Amino acid sequence: MKKALALILALVMALSLVACGDKSGDNGDDAASTELNIFMWGDYISEDLISNFEQANGCTVNLSYMSDNADSITKLTAGAGSEYDLIMTCDAYMESLIAGGYLEKLDHAKLPNAVANINEAYWNGDNKDYCVPYLMNYIYVVYDTERCPIEITCYNDLIDPAMKGQIGTVDGARNLFPIALIALGYDPNSTNETEIAAAYDWLVKFNENVVAYGSTEQNMVNGTISCMLTYDGNASWAMSELGDKNTLTIAPFTKDAVQLGFDLFTIPKDAKHADLAHKFLDYICEPQVMADNLVEFPYSCPNDAAIAVANDNYKNDPAFDFDYKTNVFFQEDVGDALAIYDKYYQMLKVG
Amino acid sequence: MTANAPALKKKRHNRMPMLAQAGPVSIWMILFVTIPMLFIIYISFMSRGTFGGVEYTPTTESYATLMDATYFKVILKSLEVALITTGACLLLGYPFAYYIARKPPEVASKLITLLMIPFWTNSLMRLNAWMLLFQTNGPVNNFLQAIGLTEAPITFIYTPGLVLLGLITNFLPFAVLPMYSSIEKLQKSLLEASADLGATPRTTFLKVTLPLTFPGIFSAIILTFIPALGTYTVTDMLGGGKVLYIGNIIKNQFGAIRNWPLGAALSVLLLVITALLIFLYTRFAKIDDLEVL
Amino acid sequence: MNQTASKKRAARRGFTKALGDIYAVLIYSIFYIPVAVMMIFSFNDADRNFFWKGFTTRWYGELFEFGNHDLWESLAYSLVIAILATIISVVVGVLGGIGLKKFKFVGKKFIDTMIYVPIIVPEIVLAVAMLIIFMTIGVKLGMGTILIGHCTFCIPYAVVTIKGRISGDNETLQEASMDLGANRVQTFWRVTVPSIMPGIMSSAFLSFTLSFDDVVMSNMLAGASQSTLPVLILSMNRTGVTPDVNALTSLIVVFMVVGMLVSNGFTRHRKKKEAKLIAEAESAISAARSKM
Repeated sequence: MKKALALILALVMALSLVACGDKSGDNGDDAASTELNIFMWGDYISEDLISNFEQANGCTVNLSYMSDNADSITKLTAGAGSEYDLIMTCDAYMESLIAGGYLEKLDHAKLPNAVANINEAYWNGDNKDYCVPYLMNYIYVVYDTERCPIEITCYNDLIDPAMKGQIGTVDGARNLFPIALIALGYDPNSTNETEIAAAYDWLVKFNENVVAYGSTEQNMVNGTISCMLTYDGNASWAMSELGDKNTLTIAPFTKDAVQLGFDLFTIPKDAKHADLAHKFLDYICEPQVMADNLVEFPYSCPNDAAIAVANDNYKNDPAFDFDYKTNVFFQEDVGDALAIYDKYYQMLKVG
Repeated sequence: MTANAPALKKKRHNRMPMLAQAGPVSIWMILFVTIPMLFIIYISFMSRGTFGGVEYTPTTESYATLMDATYFKVILKSLEVALITTGACLLLGYPFAYYIARKPPEVASKLITLLMIPFWTNSLMRLNAWMLLFQTNGPVNNFLQAIGLTEAPITFIYTPGLVLLGLITNFLPFAVLPMYSSIEKLQKSLLEASADLGATPRTTFLKVTLPLTFPGIFSAIILTFIPALGTYTVTDMLGGGKVLYIGNIIKNQFGAIRNWPLGAALSVLLLVITALLIFLYTRFAKIDDLEVL
Repeated sequence: MNQTASKKRAARRGFTKALGDIYAVLIYSIFYIPVAVMMIFSFNDADRNFFWKGFTTRWYGELFEFGNHDLWESLAYSLVIAILATIISVVVGVLGGIGLKKFKFVGKKFIDTMIYVPIIVPEIVLAVAMLIIFMTIGVKLGMGTILIGHCTFCIPYAVVTIKGRISGDNETLQEASMDLGANRVQTFWRVTVPSIMPGIMSSAFLSFTLSFDDVVMSNMLAGASQSTLPVLILSMNRTGVTPDVNALTSLIVVFMVVGMLVSNGFTRHRKKKEAKLIAEAESAISAARSKM
């Protein structure tokens, strides 16, 4: 026993030495771009794509993962951006990240594939200089044609008392409030407190009908709920899980806009391997590369050239062939109004 | 001068064990708890940066926000969850800890390992397993229907009962382990003596076992009540996320809402409340004598 | 008459024992049911675990494919971190628990209070504060910083557990040992440590469990090169956790249980050997005695 404990003590000492070495060591080597550090969602990019890129450029790609959408902003804001070369974030935070000076400006000359292939509608304005969209997601209203008490054709149908106990929905202040704002005919990115308060009243009724917030497709498949607000990718799993017995359909909205969000790649300020990061961004925008990636990750994609060469499975997915694809709105950064949204969101959930 | 030297030397010699034992933990707590906490208190008096982070202009705005009735309700709800969880874990955990502690040491250590192994799987996956089991078309419902107990599937998910089950499966070991290590210390001979002196098992338990294992119970309360106060994963996953707890709100401030000063102020509030509770508890339970704190 | 009474008592003892066993089985089943479900669903022939579709072993196959080295690397990383965090936390926490109980010094009350802070404050708060401080003083993020984060909340759990164990102890045993000529270090190893062994074991289990399943610190304080397994699993939620994760988790459980059984057999074997040696020595001694 004594020996074991002595050994443990020695290990601790050795370890603290190693930890100290860790602190001072690595800083010096900013060796030519042989390493690319990416912070993104787990299981969200093809391993083949990564290893092909590694081979083509003679480098190592390190992937580390975020557990929450906001992780990338928290890390960037805390000053840890320079640890990475590429950070995945979403469009709702872009304005703050740019204004806060957390991002490196992109050199479009180094991104010919991105410039040529990415649909202008999804890549414009200030953001264009700081990010490259990777994949995107719609927030759909999906309902079961057999089990759902009423037919859903607009957001206001969701607060129909007949829908009590039927709905599962995505969560988060900035996902829920825009839906209410659109239902009420306001700007989905409103910063006006009266409008947000009105949206809160709408959401209180909506909340009455909601069974659960969070990931909902499992409940949809097992019959706990009959209507869900979810991302297009999740809608696609639910439909394919039901296979031949699929009675789920995407609500045929005629006037209400749906939310379209992006998972974007950005280069943080003072990234050590910005050059290689540009190469990577351009590589994933090559039509065939992205088309191959879509086989494994069949999500909506802003890269028109890639969709053109994608396989039929992808092109025929019921969750992606959808009329109101054109009638969309984007989440914008609402700055200080975020605190107002949060106040009402808390009221909604606390009662 | 010379007469003093040996005394001095002795004093220095006596300090070694104190430094060796209390030193590391003190240094660790100062470096990695006190300093970060001071920083948190500092930013709780700053303003929210429009683009996230902290703007270093002093303000008490965050604390003014806390006066809102919403936070009062949130804290009450969090306290309720923590209380129920702690109560359930103590009631279920004490007999179990007692059962293990009365076994021979080799058997006890195996039983403890057996208890901990499930916790070396991912907590998210475990919670999801409960969902799979109890979902509307899940095995439990299918079984109940097959044996004819119910006609239509019963809704188990998102009920308080399932949330409590999830909380118990998450927190019970944190109650069992300290109580086990405390009960184990109880000498068998002591209990036998009590029995020999004519005490019934019940009296022995109430007059001997329970008071002597109180330090362990106290540790168990600390290790379940306080973490349960800030918990949100179980309630979000098994409860449907319809209710916000203090843990959710603090997490959101440091994440999507980017209001670090408010998150910091909420943490300070949580510290104050817990300190108050511990203080009241120790006063009423008179556990100062036990030197647990 | 007397015999019937003792028979009754024995029967009652047997009944209580059976009741205890049943209770223990019930408690264990609460913990093992989810694990069993998880293991069963690792054989599910579906891309996502919504419900049972059919039997397959393909997820185990995929687990060992090239494409899945991420899961294994994360598992190894998590294990190394959890083991190191446990060692550090138990050493610092156990010494600290004893030291804080035994000694009085300036600022002791303060340290006693600080112990509770990491248990009270949600992890994200300390994690963000540490991250900002580390970035300000230029510490490179990596295993070292994750370890610091994990130990910061594991040490308090160890200290609280140890305090629960030793409170009310008097020092007669230690004093007796010192009177008998043992020095402080010997007393510590030979008397103090064995007497609080269950407390040490409990602290170790708690620390390992907390560290191995941690997400928040592991995420915020991680460097760019590697993520821990819980972070990866949570991150996979974006696109759905696939049953190969169930397969990996099942393997971990099986490995741990087998490991326990093997070590069990090993100690039993050693005990037998020791007993045999002792018996041999005793018979040799008695043989020598009888010759004398």
